[in-house]
Amino acid sequence: MSKELLFISQHWNIEFNHAAGETASVFFRAIKERKEILGRRCPACKRVLLPPRSFCERCFVDTLEWVKVGKEGTIEAFTIVYEQFRGLPKPPYAIAYVLLDGASTAMVNFLKKVDLNNLQEALERIKIGARVKVVFKRKRRGRITDFWYELLHT
Amino acid sequence: MRVAILGVGQTSYEREKGISLDELVFEATKNALEDSGLNLQEIESVVTAGSDGLDGRAISNMTVSGSCGAYLKDEVKVSDGGIYGLVLAYLRVASGLFGNSLVVSWTKSSEVSPDTVGNLSFDPLYLREAGINPITYSAIQVSLYKHITGARDEDAAKVVVKNRGNALKNPLSHLKRKPSVKEIKSSRFVSYPLREIHIPPESDGACALVISSERWLKTRKKTGQKYAWIRGIGWSLEGYYRDEKKELVKLSSLRKAAKTAYKMAGIKNPAKEIDTAEVSDITAYHEIMIYEALGFCGDSEGIELVRKGVTEIDGELPVNPSGGILSSNPIFASSLVRVAEAALQVMGKAGERQVKGVNTALAQGFTWSGTQGSCVVILDNRI
Repeated sequence: MSKELLFISQHWNIEFNHAAGETASVFFRAIKERKEILGRRCPACKRVLLPPRSFCERCFVDTLEWVKVGKEGTIEAFTIVYEQFRGLPKPPYAIAYVLLDGASTAMVNFLKKVDLNNLQEALERIKIGARVKVVFKRKRRGRITDFWYELLHT
Repeated sequence: MRVAILGVGQTSYEREKGISLDELVFEATKNALEDSGLNLQEIESVVTAGSDGLDGRAISNMTVSGSCGAYLKDEVKVSDGGIYGLVLAYLRVASGLFGNSLVVSWTKSSEVSPDTVGNLSFDPLYLREAGINPITYSAIQVSLYKHITGARDEDAAKVVVKNRGNALKNPLSHLKRKPSVKEIKSSRFVSYPLREIHIPPESDGACALVISSERWLKTRKKTGQKYAWIRGIGWSLEGYYRDEKKELVKLSSLRKAAKTAYKMAGIKNPAKEIDTAEVSDITAYHEIMIYEALGFCGDSEGIELVRKGVTEIDGELPVNPSGGILSSNPIFASSLVRVAEAALQVMGKAGERQVKGVNTALAQGFTWSGTQGSCVVILDNRI
């Protein structure tokens, strides 16, 4: 009898319909309809939370006030990806934590319009502390990928 | 009530083990029972820890219910890293509800693309579509850590050489080759600043422990076995989005967990009082970050420990004598392996990878990717 070990290949194809909730819906609609980035201010610690949340996990109170933050900000941390991960974009691409002006917390998104093929050259330009601007997609769907960051002073 | 680890069971760690998930779990559980000297009839509780996503089975503890020894027992699962299985088992035994417990954790990385499941483990609204998975998230953390501390590519290389070198003495290791510094320097960047060689392999493997209360142990015949007593244990969670600059690399939850565990164990100077540690080197740089959060040195001083060789196997405070996660990575089980290896060190049963004169050892684990949750366990061999 053959000693070959068998493998049973299967594939999960499950659709999820995640509820964004009221706060995230307002946030995503503001991006889609008005090209605005909105944070939520905690009435207790006064932090402007981005991504916006309907409550502050530290003070454990409702956040009630919307705050329009700036469309420019500062890179706090980043990575440049050279690996093709399943379900993620074709490399190379850069992802950055950016603190937008007026926000207290950084927001993750892609950093585009930098040639990443030569890493050393890319690192001359993408630096922690570098200033960036928010750029909106022309056709927006109300998703995080409706905007990305680009370096200022390029 | 005092709780001890009586027995440790592991499988070997390999890219693809060619056995089924329940066979894998059976092997580790059987090894743990054998090491403890208990038979399954004596076991009162079973705690399992695994990931349904990585297992490709919803409620995957049902798949392994027979092989983890849970037939007609009080089994309960945590869907978190294996070290959290120990937390729950510890609580069940320390409370006196159960005299003893098995703790079992596993992952068959070869059955799935772990990075894809890792991407799914992040929030669907804000992070998942922005390219975040365990590797890119770790890389972002590391970029900031390097910026703050001046940690260099060479420092990460030293950690890789240390852990992969230690792995040569561990017969269970997945990666059994010590790379040269030159080889590490030419390793390609997967997600800058992380090179392929700074990131752990994906392994198949399972790990199991048998723990019991001091009271239950007194009902048994004396065997002369060495035990690893749980002297301190602490765990904590921090903010999910980790979006304030300092938070991203501070590992606040780990600091809190360590503080709790040290207090319970009466440890005032961890660098002096801990003889060896098994920590979750989910990247080479993370091991250095962990030194600081555990108080082995001050903030930004982790690189000094690496450069001075303090954490080498013959250094003052050897870290990851087993080879760490950089050498063997059965993802969800990896944090329980840290406890298993620390226990072996304390019992004096670590074979060729035994550090000399270990009385007190530390084990540390994260929830999984993102490092927002952390657990610290202090073990010693005092009777």
